[in-house]
Amino acid sequence: MMKALGSSRLSRRRFLTASASLGIGTIAAPYVARADDPTLRITGWGGKWGEIMKAEIGPAFESEFKCKLQIDSAFPYLPKLQASSRSAPIYDVLHTNSNEQWAAAEMGLVEPKIDPKLVPNLADVYPYAVSDKIVGVSIFTSAIGLGLRTDKGYGSITSWKELWDAKYNGVRGGYVIPVNSLGQAFLMMCGTLFGKGQTDLDAAYTALEKLKPIKIVDFTGAMEKMLLSGEVGLCVIHDSGIYRYDGQNQPTDFVSPSEGVLSLEQVLTITPGSKMKELANAYVNYMLRPEVQKRLAETVWYSPANKKVKLDAKYDAKLLTTPEKVSKLIQVDWKWYNERKDEIDQRVNRIFRA
Amino acid sequence: MQTTASHSPSLAAARQAAPARTAGSVRHYGRYLYLAVNIAILIFLLAPIAIVVVFALNPTPFIQFPPVGVSLRWFEKFFASRDFMHALGFSLEVAVLTTIAATILGASAALALARGNLPGARLIVATMLSPLMLPAILTGLALFQTYVLLDVGRPTWGLVAGHTLVTLPYVVRTTLAVLHNFDTRLEEAAQNLGASPLRTFFEVTLPLIKPGVLAGAIFAFIVSFDQFPVSLFLVSPGNETLPVTLFNYLKFDLDGTIGAASVVSIVLAFVVVIGLDRTVGLRSYVKL
Amino acid sequence: MSSAATTRPNGLALFILPSALLFALFFFLPIGLMALMSVLTGNPVVAPKVAFTTRHYARMIDDPFYLEVIWTTIRIGLVTTLVALAIGYPLAHWMARIKSRTGHALLLMAVLAPMLTGIVVRTFAWMTLLSDKGVVNQTLMSLGVIGQPLKLMYTETGIVVGLVHIYVPFMVLTLTGVIGRIDERLEQAAENLGASPLRAFLEVTLPLSLPGILAGSLLVFALAISAYVTPILLGGFQIMTLPILIYQQISANFNVGFAAALGIVLLMLSLGLVVAYNRALGLVSGQRELQ
Repeated sequence: MMKALGSSRLSRRRFLTASASLGIGTIAAPYVARADDPTLRITGWGGKWGEIMKAEIGPAFESEFKCKLQIDSAFPYLPKLQASSRSAPIYDVLHTNSNEQWAAAEMGLVEPKIDPKLVPNLADVYPYAVSDKIVGVSIFTSAIGLGLRTDKGYGSITSWKELWDAKYNGVRGGYVIPVNSLGQAFLMMCGTLFGKGQTDLDAAYTALEKLKPIKIVDFTGAMEKMLLSGEVGLCVIHDSGIYRYDGQNQPTDFVSPSEGVLSLEQVLTITPGSKMKELANAYVNYMLRPEVQKRLAETVWYSPANKKVKLDAKYDAKLLTTPEKVSKLIQVDWKWYNERKDEIDQRVNRIFRA
Repeated sequence: MQTTASHSPSLAAARQAAPARTAGSVRHYGRYLYLAVNIAILIFLLAPIAIVVVFALNPTPFIQFPPVGVSLRWFEKFFASRDFMHALGFSLEVAVLTTIAATILGASAALALARGNLPGARLIVATMLSPLMLPAILTGLALFQTYVLLDVGRPTWGLVAGHTLVTLPYVVRTTLAVLHNFDTRLEEAAQNLGASPLRTFFEVTLPLIKPGVLAGAIFAFIVSFDQFPVSLFLVSPGNETLPVTLFNYLKFDLDGTIGAASVVSIVLAFVVVIGLDRTVGLRSYVKL
Repeated sequence: MSSAATTRPNGLALFILPSALLFALFFFLPIGLMALMSVLTGNPVVAPKVAFTTRHYARMIDDPFYLEVIWTTIRIGLVTTLVALAIGYPLAHWMARIKSRTGHALLLMAVLAPMLTGIVVRTFAWMTLLSDKGVVNQTLMSLGVIGQPLKLMYTETGIVVGLVHIYVPFMVLTLTGVIGRIDERLEQAAENLGASPLRAFLEVTLPLSLPGILAGSLLVFALAISAYVTPILLGGFQIMTLPILIYQQISANFNVGFAAALGIVLLMLSLGLVVAYNRALGLVSGQRELQ
C-alpha cells in the first residue's frame, strides 16, 4: 500500500516512507478504514452541541448526502492537523473558534475563503460572518460579556469595569488567556477599556494585573459550572453559557456591558488537501441552512449567522437576531493578535502565576 | 540469608539478667502509633474515592457539598451513553493487549539485563525507564508524527504500542527488583540435583520471580487503563479510551457522570485484579 | 553476587531483543524526530523549507521565566517524592509484614483503589475536596472553624497533595516487595541482642530496604515531574510546570519546535537524575546494580 506522494521535494520523507511503508505499510493495510460510503472528517465540540450533532444533525446529513460523518471531539484539533501531511489532512472540515482558524490559515492548514458558488447559503449570512476579520465562514456567534449570580445582591451591573471592583475578590472568574479565545478577546477589551484600543497591550497588561485575585479556567464549560456552584460570582462568559440553563431556575444572568460585547464565532473552514471538497462544501452549506441553524441555535443558544432564521420568541428575545443587534458585536483582529501571541502569552503567564 | 544468633550461654544469661529495656508498655504504644499512622494513611488514600462515590450519587450537576440526595441518574447516563460504553470497552481491550505485550517484553528484558552480562546494562536500564521521564504528551505527539510519517493513520496497534512503551518500564523495574534479591543458590541447587538449565528456569526461577512479574503486570494494566496524554493524540474518532472521553466530557459537563464512570472503573478493575489473583496467584506474594 | 567467571554476554542477553525493537521503532524514532524538530525552524514532514536553529533553546536561557518553570517542576517533584515516601513506607511495611492473607488482600485493594479510579476522576475528586465550595472548606465553615474558605487549590500544596495521592500506591507497591524480602529473623536477631524495635528498624530494616526506597523515589519523582493532568486541574493554571507549558505550546501556540526543546530538556534532566540515583544505589548497596 503505497500512497502517491504529493511532492518530490521532500526526499528524506520519501526515503523513509518508502523503506518503512514496505514493512509497516503491509501490516497496516488491513487497518486502514475502507468505508463503503465516502467519509467526511470534521471536528466538533462535546457537551450539548455534540449530543445534538450525534443524535440529529449528523444522521440527517449522512442520509441526505449518502456519506459517513466522522466527528473528532478530542481536543486539541489544530496540533493534530498541523502534524498531519498537507496532502492527506486528518480533517476535511475544521470547526473551531476564530482565533484558531486564523492561526490555521496562517500555517496554510485551511483555506481562507469559502467559495460562494459552492456554498450558496453564504449569500444569506450577516456581514460579520464573512467579514475581513473571519477566515472561512462563521456559522454561529455568541456575545462575550459578563455572567453573574443573581442571588448575591450585586445589584445591576452595566459596565465591564465593575469586574475590577474589590467586592468581587475571591469570586471573580476569568480564563487562561494563552489557551482560551474568550480570555484573549477579553485582553483586547481591556486595551479598549483602559487604553487606546484593542492593540494597546500595555494598558491591557496593567489592567490584568489589577484583576487579581481571580480564578481562571481553560474552558467555558468549567466557568459555567463554577458560576452554578457559586464558586464564582461574576465572570467573563458568553451568553450561551448562561442561557443554556434556561428553564432550570438557576440564579444566574448575563449582562451585555455598555462598552460593548465581543464576538465569539463558531467558524468552519475547509482544508486545502481534503479529498472530499464537494462533500465538505455541502456540509458547510448544510450547516447554514435555516432549519439546521434554528435547531442548533435553540439547543445551545448560539446566535445564527443566517439572516433568514426565525427563532422562537424566547430565543429571539435574548440572542442576536437582527442586523442592529449584530452590528454591535466587536470583532477581534485575530491576525494581529496571533502575530504577537508568543510574547503576549509569556507576559500573561507571568501576570497570573500564583 | 541465614544469620545464626550465637547460642553461647553467656549471651542467654546476659539477656535474662539485663532489664527488659523495651518494656511492654512502650512496645504497645509503638504498636498503636504504627497502626494509627497506617490507618490515617489509608483514610487519606480512600477519602477521595468515597467523595467520588458520593458525587456519583448526588443528583446536582456540579460540585456541591453536602450532597442533597441519592440518585442513580448519573449511572443511567453513563450506561446509556454509547460513547462512554464504547470507550470503556476499548480501554479494557487496549489495557489487556498492553499488559500482555508489556509483561512478555518487560520480563524478558529484565532477565537479559540481570543475567545476560550485557555491556552497559546500567545505561540500558536507564534508557528503558526513560519513557516515564518524558512528558507523555510529547511522546504522544512524537508517536502521532511518526505514524503520519509512516502513513499508517491512527490504528489500534499504534495505540497499544504507545501504551506498551509507557508501561514496559514498570515490568522491567519490578522484575529486576526481584531478580536483584534472588538467591542464585536455589538455581545452583536445582542444577546440582540434575535439572537442566531449561527445567531449572521453568521450575525454579520463573515461579520465584512471579511476584515481581505479576506486580509489574498489574502496574501495566492499571497504567494503560488510566493512560491519558499518549492516548490523547493516538485515539481516533469512534475509538477513544475512557480517560480521553472523560477529560473531554469534563470540559463541558462537570457532573456526576464522571463519578459514575469512576465507580464502574474501580469495580471492573477489582474484578480483573482479583481474577488475576485467583488464577495466577497473588498469594504467592509471600516472602522468599 | 557476581560470578567471577565470564563477563561476555550469554544466551539470555538475546531476550532483550523484542524490547529493543519496540524501543527503536516507537521510542527512539519518534523522540529522535522530536529532538530533530527542536533544532529546526519548522516541521520537516509538512513544511518544505526548514533550517537549523538554536533559537528554541536560546529562548529558554534568555528568559528567566523558563528557568523558573523548570525549577518549579523539579521542586514539586522533590516534595511529592519525599511526602510519598514518608506516607508510603509505613503502609508498605505493614503490608509486607501482615500475617493474615485476607488482611494483605484488603490492604492491597485499598492501595490499588486510588490507582484504579483513573487520573482524571481522582484529580477531580481532589477538586471536590479542596475547592472553595468543596468538602473541606464547607465542613470547616459550617463548623465555624473558618470564616472564609481556605485557598487549598491553585497552590503548589494542592498540587502536591493531589500528586502524592496518585503516586503513593506506586511507592507502596515498590517498597512492599523489597521489605517483604527482608528476612524477619534479621530484625528478631537484632532484638534478641537487645535492640528496641525502633532501633532494629532503623539499623536493620531501613538500610536493607534502601534499594526499594531509591527505586520507589526515582519512580515517583519521574512521574511527578512529567505529570500534567493533576497540576492543571489543581493548580488552576496559576502554577506553571514544564509539562503544562509543553502542552500550551503544542495546543495553543503551535510551536512544536519549542515544545520539543522543552521536552528534551526535561528528558535530559531526568536521565541525569536516574544516573545519579543508580550511582547512589550502587554506593549504598555496596555492590553494582545488576551484575
